[in-house]
Amino acid sequence: MSLKFCDWLFLLVVPAVLFFLPEIVFAADVVASEGIAAESLPSEGFAWWVWVLLLFVFSFFLGIIAVVAGVGGGVLYVPIVSSLFPFHLDFVRGAGLMVALAGALSAGAPLLNKGLANLRLALSMALIGSISSIFGALVGLALPSHIIQLSLGFTIVFIAIIMLMAKKSEFPEISAPDKLSQILHIHGIYYEASLKKDIDWQIHRTPVGLVLFVVIGFMAGMFGLGAGWANVPVFNLVLGAPLKVSVATSVFVLSINDTAAAWIYLHKGAVLPLIAVPSIAGMMLGTKIGAKLLTRVKTKSVRVIVITLLLLAGFRAILKGFGI
Amino acid sequence: MNEKHSKPDNAQRVYGQVLHWVSTLGIVFVILGFAIYIFELFPLKVPISDIAKNWHLGAEELNRQFHLPTGWAWVNDMLHGDVLSFASIVYLSGATIICLAAVAVVFFREKNVIYTTIAFLQILVLVFAASGIIGSGH
Repeated sequence: MSLKFCDWLFLLVVPAVLFFLPEIVFAADVVASEGIAAESLPSEGFAWWVWVLLLFVFSFFLGIIAVVAGVGGGVLYVPIVSSLFPFHLDFVRGAGLMVALAGALSAGAPLLNKGLANLRLALSMALIGSISSIFGALVGLALPSHIIQLSLGFTIVFIAIIMLMAKKSEFPEISAPDKLSQILHIHGIYYEASLKKDIDWQIHRTPVGLVLFVVIGFMAGMFGLGAGWANVPVFNLVLGAPLKVSVATSVFVLSINDTAAAWIYLHKGAVLPLIAVPSIAGMMLGTKIGAKLLTRVKTKSVRVIVITLLLLAGFRAILKGFGI
Repeated sequence: MNEKHSKPDNAQRVYGQVLHWVSTLGIVFVILGFAIYIFELFPLKVPISDIAKNWHLGAEELNRQFHLPTGWAWVNDMLHGDVLSFASIVYLSGATIICLAAVAVVFFREKNVIYTTIAFLQILVLVFAASGIIGSGH
């Protein structure tokens, strides 16, 4: 197995930028601030625009790696940015939600128009998920930072393990749809380009899916994570929707659930444009570049890097939570 | 032809169309709002450097320190660059409500009782979150 130059560049440069650039800047920053009156510069020594620019560049690379690894941006953004940047976790979670929301809104329309995302499936699950995401956001903003940091760390490690273990089923076999999905008319047809034919699909275990979306919504609201990492396995492995329908509908559900939680963060003053906007812009630009690189880079290797990054960020958040 | 069968239904098509325009406009607003903010084309409620000096503080502490309004009170200060940038983010958060309202009308016209109810309830949940009844204040 030989890797091309492009692969090596991607595998080495992107993670290095993600983890070490803020560290290098922070170290330089500390050195710089030692020689300058503290009150003349922002909290960490550098001018504000350096941090904003750094956040934009960082989010750009995060966007590339997120799309190549097939994960949402939010799940990488919150643990890594909260570990490496000087922002309070409240603002990182608020920005993380906005990043996930902006990404889902811009991706939602083409997915709906192509018939990959399913409106009925999404609306049924999002209603219950959005209610629990409001409660998640309220709990998340009420708890002390170290508790959130600690539970975020454990959650991120858990997500990394799920990503490592979870299987995928391209076209799950459903013997019969359940009663609730029949009442809600949740079924569909989409055109599978790789097979050049229409695929009929239906779902089962709808009540179990609804309960799981309560949990997913709560966690998304509490940590500002977005929730593609959980939505997709539930749609695909629990409800039995085809993988492409699951991924597309997950994006759409995210746009509804994150909206509910985002309002709570906005009203609590936990969304700073100075942090949220560069993150949104960087991430969206990065995902566009990432989509173009998708065919050139070995996604399996990138997935391993993402899982490693998540584990590192998760353990770092746990240590921070313990005050270490 | 195969693709003929896999076209989205009317409600889904309407949601997709509305979402396309609402989200495109949202991204434009967010970029414009941010440009107005950082280039200080309008006066700011709180100088950028003051925010940067204190962004390590929690949201509640930062708001208290600068007497920043929570909930919808920012609407009274719309002619400030930082508030305009914040307003653009608020618009982005309202995009889904606009799309749901459009699709609720489609479901209602189609006499689809189940999904008219679900869409209506979903709008209620989001409007409730957006109202600031819960979540605003300290």
